[in-house]
Amino acid sequence: MDKFEAAFNELIEKELKIEPRDWMPEKYREHLIRQVSQHAHSEVIGMQPEGNWLLRAPSLRSKQVLLAKIQDEAGHGLYLYSVAETLGISRQEMVQQLHEGKAKYSSIFNYPTLTWADMGAVGWLVDGAAITNQVSLQRTSYGPYSRGMVRICKEESFHQRQGYEIMMQMAFGTPEQKEMAQDALNRFWFPALMMFGPHDKDSAHSSQAMKWKIKIESNDHLRQKFIDHTVKQIEYLGLKSPDPNMKWNEATGHYDHSPFNWDEFWNVVNGNGPCNQERLDHHKKVHNDNKWVREAAAAYALKTETQVA
Amino acid sequence: MKIKKHVFVRLADTSVILGQRLAEMCSNGPTLEEDIALSNISLDLFGRADELYKIVAKLEGDKFTPDDYVFRRNEREYYNIKLVEQPNEDFAWVIARQFLHDVYAREVFTQLSSSKNADLAGISQKVLKEIKYSYVHSKDWMNRLGLGTEESNTRLQKALDHLMKYVDELFAFDELDKTYLADCEKLKSIWFKEVDEVLLESNLKRNPFPPLSMRDYRDGFHSEHMGHLLSIMQYLPRAYPDAKW
Repeated sequence: MDKFEAAFNELIEKELKIEPRDWMPEKYREHLIRQVSQHAHSEVIGMQPEGNWLLRAPSLRSKQVLLAKIQDEAGHGLYLYSVAETLGISRQEMVQQLHEGKAKYSSIFNYPTLTWADMGAVGWLVDGAAITNQVSLQRTSYGPYSRGMVRICKEESFHQRQGYEIMMQMAFGTPEQKEMAQDALNRFWFPALMMFGPHDKDSAHSSQAMKWKIKIESNDHLRQKFIDHTVKQIEYLGLKSPDPNMKWNEATGHYDHSPFNWDEFWNVVNGNGPCNQERLDHHKKVHNDNKWVREAAAAYALKTETQVA
Repeated sequence: MKIKKHVFVRLADTSVILGQRLAEMCSNGPTLEEDIALSNISLDLFGRADELYKIVAKLEGDKFTPDDYVFRRNEREYYNIKLVEQPNEDFAWVIARQFLHDVYAREVFTQLSSSKNADLAGISQKVLKEIKYSYVHSKDWMNRLGLGTEESNTRLQKALDHLMKYVDELFAFDELDKTYLADCEKLKSIWFKEVDEVLLESNLKRNPFPPLSMRDYRDGFHSEHMGHLLSIMQYLPRAYPDAKW
């Protein structure tokens, strides 16, 4: 072990932060680029399923709140692309990897949003699952990622409340609204739980990431925390649990749940979900259709900079 | 829904319709930064509309809420300027429409900021701060697209040629406008002077077009785009009239 590696290990050991100019193992850098770019792409692709209802938001207030929320997500995408850039990759390269299918984003965004209640379920369950994970990532070992997460978490907790507010309006509203709320819960429950990733024993990248303290808590631990917390909210809303086997287990002190359909999870991850093609096609189309705008901005910048010089 | 003609309704309708058009750009911007900027301007417009509808509601004895005005009126009961309901054909349309609107709105709210109506004067002062940013944004893009590449110049000129058709009615002031606006002629002359200056510096032209037989927005006349915009925007409250959102 050379002195650089020893210094890196010591920083990790002492739970201090690794900064962009510090030496780091190539695999640490690669792992972070993969994780942070995936996180950034998730924020950006995640704008689409919510954007699907933005124009149909049923009140001025809900429209403003949803628009502000989607705008936050674009902002999160920006911070995270910037974090990844400190590791030596450009935003342009990351977008290219996304378009070529080499970089992933969270599979949850490959599900369609079919009713207004889905805006509730997405905020409550999807942002709720994300924040459970992100709170623990505030302590991640890479400094820029950790600091970005602190800021993102503040905004995400507002998102989750926005989602839960819609769920309350729907669950306590007309019979039709309550039916939409139940349907949204039924559709998003298992996909949201699978957002935490494979079980610990099957998670390919987890163990090294935990040694490096990129990841602080395991997939199963975080998932269980989320379930235990959310069951009470389902009860408060007066909705039925989407999982008939979900019940309190005195011995473990947690809620039990049915086995997950991992075949569906992997099938969606591998590109065969209901909206994978649409999400990616939309991103590519917008990017390509607006190429002329970016070219014009670059040409104008070049002309005006030359004038200044 | 019958609503008395107010200058506030015209301003509020113009704000909400332009807000909706800009919201359509969410996840459709040329860069993430631009997506965020357009969302911000859209949020300002929805907030402005809400405040103005509250004044209308107060004037009408609180029979309706701002949401009733937005979601329960059909196109003939809307009094927005036709300019803002024109579609987002491409980013040049978004920018041209915004710029033409921003110069107009800035002058209108400047005059209204000294209104005797305290609510209106207060809102106008707040709105002017927002428009300042929106104006910097739209004017910068007018320069960038006008002077950027041949393609961007061509696209922006094409957008302008279409949108200019909806400018004349802005200045066909009626008695109601004249009650609230301190100096209508000044508003018109400032608008043309400033727009022409920015077009000139951006290598763009205000091309002449033959006089159009088009009815006035003040009487609730629209282009065909309006009905589609409303049918999307009003879908939920119309489909579930008993629901609370």
